[in-house]
Amino acid sequence: MNTTFLSRSLLRAATSTSLKPTTTTSIRTLASVATSQTAPAEPGSKEPNVKQFQIYRWNPDTPEKKPYMQTYELDMNQTGPMVLDALVRLKNEIDPTLTFRRSCREGICGSCAMNIQGSNTLACLCRIDVSNSAPVKIYPLPHTYVVKDLVPDLTQFYKQYKSIKPYLQRKTPSPDGREYRQSIAERKKLDGLYECILCACCSTSCPSYWWNSSDYLGPAVLLQSYRWLADSRDEATGARKSAFENEMSLYRCHTIMNCAKTCPKGLNPGQAIANIKKEMAFGS
Amino acid sequence: MASLFRSSLRTATAMPRLTQPVSTTSAAAAVRCSGMKNLGIMRQAGMTKKGFHASASRKLLPAGPQVIQGTINDAAEVPDPNAAHGSYHWSFERLISVALIPLTVAPFAAGSINPVTDAILGATIIIHSHIGFESIIIDYIPHRKYPTLRKGSMWALKGATVLVLVGLYEFETNDVGITEAVKRVWKA
Repeated sequence: MNTTFLSRSLLRAATSTSLKPTTTTSIRTLASVATSQTAPAEPGSKEPNVKQFQIYRWNPDTPEKKPYMQTYELDMNQTGPMVLDALVRLKNEIDPTLTFRRSCREGICGSCAMNIQGSNTLACLCRIDVSNSAPVKIYPLPHTYVVKDLVPDLTQFYKQYKSIKPYLQRKTPSPDGREYRQSIAERKKLDGLYECILCACCSTSCPSYWWNSSDYLGPAVLLQSYRWLADSRDEATGARKSAFENEMSLYRCHTIMNCAKTCPKGLNPGQAIANIKKEMAFGS
Repeated sequence: MASLFRSSLRTATAMPRLTQPVSTTSAAAAVRCSGMKNLGIMRQAGMTKKGFHASASRKLLPAGPQVIQGTINDAAEVPDPNAAHGSYHWSFERLISVALIPLTVAPFAAGSINPVTDAILGATIIIHSHIGFESIIIDYIPHRKYPTLRKGSMWALKGATVLVLVGLYEFETNDVGITEAVKRVWKA
């Protein structure tokens, strides 16, 4: 923290001497690590390229106030290329009350899942469209209960994930007492499954999950379940399958395929669900 | 550390003075804040607000408050396994759907209309649509929310299916039958 603060101060001093003394700069912009994503400002050298951001706002402290869209403006010349860069900059420099989840800023934690320009994606993997002047519209994940602004409540999602027992279940020890080894072919079955980061983009884009999220598990959790069904080392295949023998958990998937379309990691939960259905019908 | 400075920054952004100079804070410098038409108070800080709903929201089937079964650390409940509602149901449903393709094409391909194929086609269509409507009811009338309406719609669907079955039987025995009817409408 301290090193970051110091290096930021130095950088600021080096880059903005022509603008003003660093002492007038709001200290909060320097205190944040995330400000490092802001490109150094060179005022006057470039025409400001202003982009509008319309962001869903709702504050639990004033529940009587309806959610509204708030418009912010940022100069794209001083902002990083991704939507998360813009959000971080908005929070640091314009409106500290703007609330969203973020962590890794490189598409591996799944925290910053939100609805950007009408489709669910990770803000850190979504480029700001600078090809036109239309405002960037940002909403929380659709059909979720909102905690605040862009923060959705994923309690049910995690409870469902827990219900599929997402861990290796095995009673037989390995023959030589060492690791449970797989052939290359067996390992290959897990490709396209293990990459899922549980950002909930797919589940919250699924109309079936919108209507029945309390009973239907949704694409993300089903993909995770198939990851364990497809694992050659797992021995609970029967129990896992029998948990789907009802009309809601698995069979509310109607192959709408919004999940595959929206997945920011390029996975195909629809195919994983189809594979579960196939295995349920024909055994194997 | 940031919270020490937070309150001052908040007042700076929430209530900017109309004559606020451009370079007092970096926040003001970062955004376009002058030279714009309609300089509202929010506009000056780089923000505008707009009502979320353009029209009055209609409370059609409102979502209601969030319901969490058990504590947040409990796993979601797994229903009792019943293959008749699970894999058997799915396989049967797919079998019926697939069977409909040859049954629909066969009488036209053969060029003759057989009352037996016609009867099988009629029965398959009824089962297919019954399963389809059942699926719609399960999707849109959740048991947890409208238990009575759900039960009522299921019985209404059963009644409708029986009614259609009787109607098709009458149509097959006393009239021309499905295939011939489609043929005539096609050529009309």
